[in-house]
Formats: sequence, C-alpha cells, structure tokens
Amino acid sequence: MLSKQLELLVALQDLDCMLKEVEEVKALGFEAPGKEDLEKAREELAKKIEPRLLSTYNRLRKHYKRAIAPVKDNKCLGCFMQLPTSLSVRGRRDDEVITCQGCGRILYWLD
Amino acid sequence: MERGELALYFHDELFLPEMKATNKEEALEELVDLFVKNHIIRNKEIVLEMLRKREALGSTGIGKGVAIPHGRTLAAPDVMIAFGRSTAGIEYDSMDGQPVHLFFMVLAPPHDRSNKYLPLLGKLVEFISEDQVRQQLLEAKDFQEVIDLIVGE
Repeated sequence: MLSKQLELLVALQDLDCMLKEVEEVKALGFEAPGKEDLEKAREELAKKIEPRLLSTYNRLRKHYKRAIAPVKDNKCLGCFMQLPTSLSVRGRRDDEVITCQGCGRILYWLD
Repeated sequence: MERGELALYFHDELFLPEMKATNKEEALEELVDLFVKNHIIRNKEIVLEMLRKREALGSTGIGKGVAIPHGRTLAAPDVMIAFGRSTAGIEYDSMDGQPVHLFFMVLAPPHDRSNKYLPLLGKLVEFISEDQVRQQLLEAKDFQEVIDLIVGE
C-alpha cells in the first residue's frame, strides 16, 4: 500500500505515462478499453496527494513532459545537475519531497 | 531486434525456476521481489501499483500458458526482464482462460532513449509463439539453457 507522498506522486506519474500510451494507441485507431478505469484510478490517487504538492506536480508537468526526475549517482537525470551528497540520505527515505535546485523537478532516488 | 539482443535483457539473478505463487497477485509480487532482492528496484509498492493498474487495462496473460506483465515506471532504472516458471500453472485471468506456466515481467523506465521497450516486447512475443520453444523453456534445466534457447543454439 502506497503511503508516502513521494510514492503517491511517482505512482501518479506512472499512471499519466500509461494514460499517454493509451492515447497513442487510440490515435492509431485501436480500441483502448479500460481507459476510463485508469482515469478514475488517477482521480482517486490524486485525492490522496496534498493539494500543494499536486499543484507543484501539475505545474511542472506543463513545463516539462515529466514532473519527476530520477536521480542516479547523485545526478538529476532531468537536467544532469550534480546534487549535494547531503541530499541523498534524505532523498532515499522517501519521507520528504525534494526538488532539483537546477531544474525544479521533483526528485526520486533510483539507487 | 535479433534474438541475441533479446538475450541481453535476461539475467541469471532475475530467473525463478519454480515460482511459489498460487494466484495472479502473488505472481506479480514474487517477480517484483526478484528486482528488489537484487537491488535493482528500491520501492516494491510503486512497481506493483503500476503493474496492477496495467492489468486493469487488460490482462497480460496472452494465452497458451504465457503472461507478460509489463509497464513503464520511474522506479525502473533500465529495461529488464524477470523470467519465472510454474510447473503447476497459476490462474491469471488469461485471454484463453488457461493457467500460466511462463512469466516474463518486463519493466522499463518512462523513457528509454534508444526506445528498446516496444521492440523488446515484440521480439519476446514472437519468440514464445512457437509451441516447441514454450515446452523447451519449461524443461530448461538452468539459466544457461534458457539463454541458449533464446539465442537459438
């Protein structure tokens, strides 16, 4: 069960990615059953996210294709900026939502 | 994509010769656990959530005893396949209603620059479409035999 705000945000982005793929399939003329269920699931998921965070996510999504960027080897893979090592310990806990000082994207530590 | 390239996405540590799962949810969890145990994925729940949502779109049990649960998630660092087998078979809500014996879990990041994900899925489906291959995969004694089969040796 997802409980932390960052986990919920990542799940939301995964869902948005899936919805986009469904749209692409539909644009090719295929049927896409289940799209409504996905949209409903997105709505439910969004309700669990703090309004302030959700608004940040939506704002970033408009600006970039994806609002959340993975971090590997202390590097934001959105803008490739090197992040301070001190952030990593906090970031891996998933307890707080940390944004990149370079591009502003929400960060998710892969390793 | 050549079959030799397909083999590159399989890894010894992501091979489960005999799964313990008895239903779909357990099967998904058992395969995701492989990624977690091998420190490839840090957060199991995010991946499971994505896979459950993907299954809600339509079962990835494609029939003839095969399931290919797949999806893109931010939690996946690269495109990878976990391969699991179940001799008894697992009820999976498959298209043909038959239990699944061969599981290929394909995870990919939201965007892979070389766009390997879709060609990989296509090649995988083509590979397991032969009856003989599926039988051989079930009988393969170890991971090397699986790889030999994929490469076509």
